[in-house]
Amino acid sequence: MAVAIKQPGLARGALGFIVGSAFGFGLVVALRAISGLEIFQTEQTGYPHLVVPAITGPLGFLVGLGAFDYWFRWAAGRPTIPEDHSQHGAKSWRDYFKFNTDHKVIGIQYIVTTFFFFLVGGLIAMLIRAELAQPGTQIVDPGVYNGLFSTHAAIMIFVFVIPVFAGIANYVLPLMIGAPDMAFPRLNALSFWMLPIAGILFLSSFLVPGGAFDAGWTGYAPLSTGAPLGQSFFNLGVQFAGASSVATALNFLVTIVTMRAPGMTFWRMPLLVWANLSTSLLVVAATPFIAGVQFMVLFDRVLHTNFFQAAFGGDVLSYQHIFWFYSHPAVYIMMLPGFGIISEVISTHARKPIFGYRLMALALIGIVVLSYTVWAHHMFVSGMFAWLRVPMMITTLLIAVPTGIKIFSWLATLFNSVLHLRSTAMLFALGFVTTFTIGGISGVMLGMVPIDIHVSDTYFIVAHIHFVLFGGSVFTIFAGIYHWFPKMTGRMYDEKLGRVHFYLTLVGMLGTFIPMHWVGMEGMPRRVADYAAQFGDWNLMISISSFLLGIAQLVFLYNMIVSWKWGPRATANPWRAKTIEWQVSSPPPIFNFDEIPRVVGGPYEFGVPGARHAIMGGEEAEVRKPEPAVVGAAGGGGGGSPGERGGP
Amino acid sequence: MESASVAVGQAEPHEHHGPPEAHQSSRIDRQTLGILLFIVTEAMLFGAFFASYFFLRVVSNEGPWPPEGFELPVAVAGVNTAILISSSFTVHWALEATRKGNRRGMQMGLMTTWLLGSTFLFIQINEYIHIGFSGRDGAFGSIFYGLTGLHGAHVLVGLLLLSFANIRAWRGHFGPKAKDHLGVEVPGIYWHFVDVMWIIVFTVVYIL
Repeated sequence: MAVAIKQPGLARGALGFIVGSAFGFGLVVALRAISGLEIFQTEQTGYPHLVVPAITGPLGFLVGLGAFDYWFRWAAGRPTIPEDHSQHGAKSWRDYFKFNTDHKVIGIQYIVTTFFFFLVGGLIAMLIRAELAQPGTQIVDPGVYNGLFSTHAAIMIFVFVIPVFAGIANYVLPLMIGAPDMAFPRLNALSFWMLPIAGILFLSSFLVPGGAFDAGWTGYAPLSTGAPLGQSFFNLGVQFAGASSVATALNFLVTIVTMRAPGMTFWRMPLLVWANLSTSLLVVAATPFIAGVQFMVLFDRVLHTNFFQAAFGGDVLSYQHIFWFYSHPAVYIMMLPGFGIISEVISTHARKPIFGYRLMALALIGIVVLSYTVWAHHMFVSGMFAWLRVPMMITTLLIAVPTGIKIFSWLATLFNSVLHLRSTAMLFALGFVTTFTIGGISGVMLGMVPIDIHVSDTYFIVAHIHFVLFGGSVFTIFAGIYHWFPKMTGRMYDEKLGRVHFYLTLVGMLGTFIPMHWVGMEGMPRRVADYAAQFGDWNLMISISSFLLGIAQLVFLYNMIVSWKWGPRATANPWRAKTIEWQVSSPPPIFNFDEIPRVVGGPYEFGVPGARHAIMGGEEAEVRKPEPAVVGAAGGGGGGSPGERGGP
Repeated sequence: MESASVAVGQAEPHEHHGPPEAHQSSRIDRQTLGILLFIVTEAMLFGAFFASYFFLRVVSNEGPWPPEGFELPVAVAGVNTAILISSSFTVHWALEATRKGNRRGMQMGLMTTWLLGSTFLFIQINEYIHIGFSGRDGAFGSIFYGLTGLHGAHVLVGLLLLSFANIRAWRGHFGPKAKDHLGVEVPGIYWHFVDVMWIIVFTVVYIL
């Protein structure tokens, strides 16, 4: 045990957590004693002796885990090796529970952690639907219900959808651009380890006095500034998740700008790389806004400042403006990486070049720019300045144009191709295009001020958000997981179970969320545990469909776990894709490449005779090539001649 | 997780050597681009607080600003501003000295910058003690402490980075080559940002 405590790892992390929490607790007690305040403040919102340890404890955990060991040595001027790879790669499952700097290990850590939270958030959703199956309150009382839908949303948004995309991109993006790792591997590992902290903070709010945070995932002031202690855990969880997501985005941007393989110009980057470039731009510039506003709420709650206290000159509505200035771009943070995944999947499985590649990339940038100009469409009924409504309506409708470009480009890519309906990744991509278009159209409806006012705070909103986040984001996540599963694990999954998963998910999803449009139109309010008896039949159907949706995910879970352990070995390039990550072994070697590949063409030139995206260097790469065509090219003479053959 | 061992197994023959060196696809190096993007993030964090400031001052405030009973020590803060701005010049001096291989100048420049920064923070804490209102006193108190406190936290982070640079400078690190003085250049860029941000905070909070 003593040895375990000395080594960086979970044991030392636990010790760090205890020391950090004790330090935070002592700090509060000492400061309050010095300033002559009551030692234990037990006002409803305050509890500094719990909130401060909830900050210092996790930081102590990170120190104990070894996240800062290298930087401490560096800061003290002690000898360090910048290219230190002692924390690189995974030899056994235990290495996945360590501070690991390998982008492939971090990718897997991200994906497994976020899917764990997906499961937890899904179970909470099942509880919500169980309560809503019948009018009246049967299973949970209204207060607990408020906590359930708030934690459901917070977990799904902050510790599932946003980070799972970071996880998938973490794994494939450096490979795709021909980089040996991310630009800042240690920062990358730190970003990952802040994520479980955020999730645990959200969940531990169930255990504190007053119960889980219950002001919705939006946490509007003054509802949130007067809420019980759990709300502070939401504020802190958002900070950790936000810091994690900013650090990852910064890392992606630097990696994409400075570490592309020779020949990989911006116009030769795969669309997944473009998508993550634009998402990262959004995260870097927008996420600090939610950090700022959650700090203000926390200050109002714990330090009793007056940012949102109208009685003392505070401005209540400023919360919503600052919050949505982040959170509208955030819906694109949750969508753009999915667009990238769908472009890869559709092009590869339809065996066709992406239609309008440059316009696809420019549409992403257009969405990034426009997404900063639409935040107040969430506030049409909030009592904000009336003159802001129409400009926001116009920009909201405008943003459908670049999104429409992407939808039509995917359809044009599919046009005249042979649809492989046996491929699960392709099925999810097709399902995505369909359901996301429906969600997009209801989004355009909601952009119109009169309709928005009519359906504000009804189930129509719930239907819309789930069509774009479940039918949109989650479908792209599944498409991506199925597409890259062979690359990440070196095993093939069971396509038959994959198809079962897809069809059950699709039916469950449509059955759950289509009727919500109708009950919403008729005025069933969201975020309420009870509802009028006239909506009972539809809600029973919604609940049954949602349980089907939940069961469908068990099929996915079974397929993934069993295939990871016992699935047949995957070849390097089972989908015959052109991008670089498929040209290395499955799973890729520990340092990705022996020699950085040379990029000689676009990433999607399917069906173009002789077209190549990249030439892999070195003899080892040659040995692992299964396809004769590629072996021939790589074997053409090792170093020099591939360049002559494929050079532009 | 068997797959992990597969990965290592296949890579075994060449595990002894590290990864291939990444191709540098841009003229800017990773650390400099990283700190610039971090500064964008930080600027947006200030943006959130400035947004709150203008809501409190323009939208919800009636009557004079600052409200009755609040007075800001503009003269003291003005002197403090001069101190912080001068530290921008000293950190530039340190970088130039490093580039020319002047070890003494680098150490002196970094030390002076650190001392000027600490003086700024010391005077600001003093200002807080004598200012006569707290963050609980109306929305003005909250946003005053919010903006200046946020900036003070950034000065603290900048000082921390400069401490590392100081320690390493005295221990004989850094050299004239571009790769060897990033440890001076990167904290320097951050320090310039802290200074520029203070000029904005000072102008908005104390003067406008």
